[in-house]
Amino acid sequence: MKDSEVIRPCIRTKPNWTISMIPLTVVVALMLSFSARVCQGQEYSLLIKNGHVIDPKNHIDGVMDVAVADGKIAMVAPNIDASQAKKVVDATGFYVTPGLINIHTHVFVGSKANTFADGVSSVSPDDFTFRSGVTTVVDAGTSGWRNFPQFKKQVIETSKTRILAFLNIFGSGMIGAPAEQDTNNMSEQMALATIKKYPDIIVGTCIGHYSGSSWTPFDAAERTAKMADRPLFVECHLPELSLQDQLNHMRPGDIMTHAYEDIKERMPVVDEQGKLRPFVLKAKQRGILFDVGHGGAGFWFSQAIPAFKQGLAPNSFGTDLHRFSMNAGMKNMLNVMSKYLTMGMSLNDIILRASWLSAQSIKRPDLGNLSKGSVADIAVLSIQQGNFGFVDAGNNKITGNRKLQTEMTVRAGRIVWDLNGISAKLYTMQ
Amino acid sequence: MRFKCDIIRRKYLFAACFLAIIGLGSLHRLNAQQVDLLLKGGHVIDPKNGIDSQKDVAITDGKISAVSDNIPASSAKRVVDVTGLYVTPGIIDMHAHVFYGTDTDSYLANGLHGVQPDAFSFRSGVTTIVDAGSSGWRNFRQFKKQTIDHSQTRILAFLNIVGTGMYGRYEEQDVTDMNPVMTAYMIKRLYPDILVGIKAAHYWGTFTQVDSAVAAGKLADVPVIVDFGEHHPPNSIRDLFMVHLRPGDIFTHTFSSGPRNRESIVDDVTGVVKPFVFEAQKRGIVFDVGHGGGAFSWVQAVPAIEQGFRPTTISTDLHTESMNAGMKDMSNVMSKFLALGLPLQEVILRSTWNPAQVIHRPDLGTLSVGSVADVTVFNLQKGDFGFVDVKRKTLKGHEKLVAELTVRAGRVVWDLNGISTPLYTKPDTYR
Repeated sequence: MKDSEVIRPCIRTKPNWTISMIPLTVVVALMLSFSARVCQGQEYSLLIKNGHVIDPKNHIDGVMDVAVADGKIAMVAPNIDASQAKKVVDATGFYVTPGLINIHTHVFVGSKANTFADGVSSVSPDDFTFRSGVTTVVDAGTSGWRNFPQFKKQVIETSKTRILAFLNIFGSGMIGAPAEQDTNNMSEQMALATIKKYPDIIVGTCIGHYSGSSWTPFDAAERTAKMADRPLFVECHLPELSLQDQLNHMRPGDIMTHAYEDIKERMPVVDEQGKLRPFVLKAKQRGILFDVGHGGAGFWFSQAIPAFKQGLAPNSFGTDLHRFSMNAGMKNMLNVMSKYLTMGMSLNDIILRASWLSAQSIKRPDLGNLSKGSVADIAVLSIQQGNFGFVDAGNNKITGNRKLQTEMTVRAGRIVWDLNGISAKLYTMQ
Repeated sequence: MRFKCDIIRRKYLFAACFLAIIGLGSLHRLNAQQVDLLLKGGHVIDPKNGIDSQKDVAITDGKISAVSDNIPASSAKRVVDVTGLYVTPGIIDMHAHVFYGTDTDSYLANGLHGVQPDAFSFRSGVTTIVDAGSSGWRNFRQFKKQTIDHSQTRILAFLNIVGTGMYGRYEEQDVTDMNPVMTAYMIKRLYPDILVGIKAAHYWGTFTQVDSAVAAGKLADVPVIVDFGEHHPPNSIRDLFMVHLRPGDIFTHTFSSGPRNRESIVDDVTGVVKPFVFEAQKRGIVFDVGHGGGAFSWVQAVPAIEQGFRPTTISTDLHTESMNAGMKDMSNVMSKFLALGLPLQEVILRSTWNPAQVIHRPDLGTLSVGSVADVTVFNLQKGDFGFVDVKRKTLKGHEKLVAELTVRAGRVVWDLNGISTPLYTKPDTYR
């Protein structure tokens, strides 16, 4: 879109003498010392210049340069010297933000029919992440202690996206009924042991898809989360447990997803008169976190718009990415974020929730920021102007004139998405 | 009308309702409302039928029921205003790898490098994907059961001449597993509706594999698609085109520039398209794009297009190494050809009717009345865009195709901006 790249060769200027005038050894020595000096000076592998940096954790909201070295953020400052970088990307007119975090996905993809765990109802993370600015996804309980190792081997270790997980309290995760209903398939002990074995990947526990009226699984998930000092993530499909009771059973820091759902099996947060239920607001004030969890049925403007106006903005934009949401109103994380842009949330507020608040909600303060020394997960976003429509789970749309687009995504210092080639060289005839 | 009728049905017998409607003189309108979905006001490009103008497209029972001027909106249950947009046959991506699976030792046969088709197809306007030889006769049934039967995208396939498909480079060298009889048998007798041809690829020898594939192609009466050139020094593509392949057979990765064991169609030194390439096209050899992660370079494509060469078919070679690189998706690859100077009509032709003919599926890639209603609605975005090749070089362009709406067998399966959905209004009960 713009003149893309300035590559600084190690030796930029030719010495202004002819070689014949000087002994060869001197030339070699000079060149070596010169190149060594300049190359040493190139301490950054990547420099993103002139973008509008939004880094809510560090209260940065202005035009800055972002320098990357060794896969980490080396510096965020105005006017960093371009000659210090091997690759320079001009991000003028774009927003530069921490790599986005999608805390609600189903990515334990496999080849089994009609199932999420190891099945075709989940999706491959890399197919969706980088093209929407996402560098970290959290899988929401698709696996349990029995099949987490398989998930890790099959997907987590083979993906470029950083994949974290809420561990389902049911041992086989979302393998489908009846295993998801069988309380004998639960083991707090094994779940806790699994979390302790993979503390860098498992960020909490998950309860969902349980149709019984017993509180045993819910409370087991809650207890396990508490023991592990991690949040509980409450998924959908708990028809016999009322919303109010669920919220009462949760601790501050626990996450209620599908916040703006309007389906029969769970009371919606906004009542028939369009009023946000007071107990929901109280739960929020008590520290319960509300995630969008858009999915195929989890996001309705008739809930989200009044809830937003009455003080229940989402803490995170989990998309509930899976096979049945990907091609419907959800589409991808930026589309969900753009819905809130259209509903009137400020861009800063949106980035805050998609990065730093999401990181804190999963107790990973190392993520979702551009602090010096942090892993260099970066999104370069543009705001498209035009006439756009955004569709909810009820197939109703709102219209707006702004939409977020991913121009470039950097994961651990590597460019993993570049929509318009802003990091590439121009083609020239040879 | 349907709503009114429903209410009446609840109160009276069906016959009473029917008579009442007749009494109201509405029978004509009910009958007329036989169109399920009407795409109104778009610019239709249907190369097979020579249509390139503003027309309405009517869909009934999953099929195209009419393409003409001014089909009345009252005749349709659902009307989508597509004014300012282009309406084309559903796009065919003739080269992709979608035999996704979990065998971590495998490359593209039940392996992690294939992708889930529905994750990429509809959002880029594609309704038919042809898998390019990820499976062979030994594992095609698994591919079908695992992927094809569970995808909304229409999946067709070239069967690899190697029995184990693209399991890995080593298995792909096994000449004893290149069995024309078994390959042809599976195509012709078992799955003639899915298997459209035979793939030869990744072979380190000379012409043995291609000749095997062509032998199978003759037995099954289907085309062969060739990913050619992993022999050092390079095998002659002139011999491939003029001696080994038949008219109708396909050369993919047309604009590949290297690696060194692969001969290119444009002379690397002079930048001139080799004369035998045009002769091969005259002979009936099909040239497919097959962009991929390593097979599309501006140094080949720019001079070739400038010198009048045209690929027969545009395709992605979609897999995990191409999806997030310069390739991205089918509509991005199509847009590259706009950036290269091809008119939109030619780009659509090479992504619809041409591939349909190449794979002997003239039922696809058209908007003929009676055809399955696979339809794509594109927005031709104007702006400053960059398109990256496999050598990480950017070519600028000012137009980009974006899939607004995709219809598969009459069902809306992608709607970027909700043009087929109603506006949200506050529920009546809200204060």
